[in-house]
Amino acid sequence: MGQALQGDGLTTKINVGPIHPSTHGVLRLVVELDGDEIVNVEPHIGFLHRGVEKLMETRNYMQDLPYVEKLDYVAPEAYSEAYISAVESALGVEVKERAQYLRVVLLELQRIASHLLWLGTFLNDLGHFFTVFMWAFADRDKILRLLQEHAGARMFYVNMRLGGLNRDVPPGFEEEVLSVLGDIEKRIPMYESYLEKNEIFMERTKGIGAISSHRAIELGVTGPVLRASGVNFDIRSSKSYYVYDKLNFKPQVVSSGDVFARYKVRMLEMKESIRLVREAIRHMPPGDAVGMPIRLIIPAPKNKEVRVYRETPRGELLIYMVAGQQGPYRVSFRSPSFINLAALPEIAKGAHYADLFAILGSLDLVIPDVDR
Amino acid sequence: MLIGESWLVSLLNSPSPYSEVLGLFAYAVFVGLLVIVVDYFLGWLERKIVAKAQLRHGPTMVGKFGLLQNLADFTKLLAKASYLPKRADRLLFTLALPFMLALAIFLILLLPLVPSFGFGNFASSLVLVFALFSFTPLFIFIAGASSGNKFAEIGSQRSVLMLLSYELPMIFVIASLGILAKSLNLFAIVQAQSKMWYIFFLPIGFFVFFISMLAELERSPFDLREADSELIAGWLTDVSAPSYTLALFLDYTKTFFGSLLMAMLFFGGWLGPVLPGLAWLLVKALIIAFFIMLVRATAVRMRIDRVLRLGWYVLLPLAVVNLIIAFIV
Repeated sequence: MGQALQGDGLTTKINVGPIHPSTHGVLRLVVELDGDEIVNVEPHIGFLHRGVEKLMETRNYMQDLPYVEKLDYVAPEAYSEAYISAVESALGVEVKERAQYLRVVLLELQRIASHLLWLGTFLNDLGHFFTVFMWAFADRDKILRLLQEHAGARMFYVNMRLGGLNRDVPPGFEEEVLSVLGDIEKRIPMYESYLEKNEIFMERTKGIGAISSHRAIELGVTGPVLRASGVNFDIRSSKSYYVYDKLNFKPQVVSSGDVFARYKVRMLEMKESIRLVREAIRHMPPGDAVGMPIRLIIPAPKNKEVRVYRETPRGELLIYMVAGQQGPYRVSFRSPSFINLAALPEIAKGAHYADLFAILGSLDLVIPDVDR
Repeated sequence: MLIGESWLVSLLNSPSPYSEVLGLFAYAVFVGLLVIVVDYFLGWLERKIVAKAQLRHGPTMVGKFGLLQNLADFTKLLAKASYLPKRADRLLFTLALPFMLALAIFLILLLPLVPSFGFGNFASSLVLVFALFSFTPLFIFIAGASSGNKFAEIGSQRSVLMLLSYELPMIFVIASLGILAKSLNLFAIVQAQSKMWYIFFLPIGFFVFFISMLAELERSPFDLREADSELIAGWLTDVSAPSYTLALFLDYTKTFFGSLLMAMLFFGGWLGPVLPGLAWLLVKALIIAFFIMLVRATAVRMRIDRVLRLGWYVLLPLAVVNLIIAFIV
């Protein structure tokens, strides 16, 4: 069987992307194939480079917020929150307690939405004809509606303010969140049984693109990809921020390290996020959650360096910032998509050509975040 | 009436020496029109079925139930610019698709659509149908290789590899049908099911045949030659819009052919009470086509080596078992 597909040592180069159905944006992969076997994958990035980091130096702190959100258009809330807390720690602003809970609610809702979008597009990469994509998008839409109710926008919220949020949640928001979570909680087992009872899906994901836990740490992969390799590391627990430690957050870890494990980790994370949001809503204190107005300018301490680590849906995001007078003197992102993409050539080596897209999909890359 | 069977029969029975030729010509024109109408309907049906599976509505705006949507899309595709890649072998690249479409329509012409007459009423017509049908992957290979595109080339190579996996089980099933009917004449095979459909004798055979047919028809989960998420459009990557309409027609013509064949070989073809024969046949074929499309809405694409494994380690043994059952029955 394998012999029929093994090459004769003569390789051919294929140019996958920058315009290709499965690269989710403008990623270019130069793939070297020997028969059906991948000899080498070379990611070429930078098609979406906009110079965001430099651009941010020329704006003030609050003007930068929308730029950060556009880095990861699948989970903008996670990025704007990470940025705003970098600014907060640079300027020494305390976050109000209710706002901390509300931020956790928004972040975890965003995580569920992001993982649902991933699920749909991942199945499309496997050659599924949009069915799970449509189902997952219908579920994601319910969450987007919730976020819209608070922020007024569906995708780019810009609802974080120094020390809190732009406004408190509308009355009845908590009940609506709980009912939507109830819906989604019923749907997740449906996805799981639909996919895990599917022989072809299991065949396409089990044992494909495996990374050992040791190698995963060496490669520096983050987020669900790391936890799928059996490494119990999640910023939410190891460098806990806000109220995650109060909510008894537990990182979701699967040990097999293959594409299936990455799928499974994300499904488990959705369930954990649902639990977290419920806990957060139960313990949320009354009070004020509104942060400082946009135009308020606080004098920043000169050349203060801050590092903020956040667990975004794609993995660990590090924001390094040197504070300036009005805006940041220098901002740098260590984005999870970039780090995970760097591991692709090693994971994909020796796999079948079709599996390249299963692996690429399982890394859950967002290309604007890679290119910045 | 649904079919023009009676006037064709009267034409055939008329004393003129040219009547037989005329009758067959009229029959061919009739089948050609039938194929166009059914293809169009299948295109609409697929969009609706897949949409329902995905909690969408599918086309609703153009015409009643969106029935005219495909016509609008067809017109749009025809209006687009035609493009021939420089690397392509001009002759082969332009001729492959029309040839394949002609072949698919000719195959339907060979099938016994009505009990009274047809082109396929001779001994071992089933063998001829399959021999011709096996040319489709070869044409795909030619089309893919002649376009000079690497994605198209991979798609066409996959097409030939897949031929190795499903063709043999399929031929074994055909052999079992021949044993049961004691004939390889398509008309005789349909007629032999007047007491009992073959699906009841050979359920395993139908299972094998259905899966092999999905592979032969390039249908999901075996759409590896097109494989949009991997190969962009596989062997169709460089085919521009006007020729792509041919590819779409080809797709549905092949689906129609496949469902017709399954209806004939396993579900008694035109046999059925009250309604005219062709109506029964179309109803059965559409039900089978419905399931073929339902698979597309639910399946994940298989990998090429797994397809080969499925063909040789699962379908082939099952086909042999089926052959033994046919001997016993």
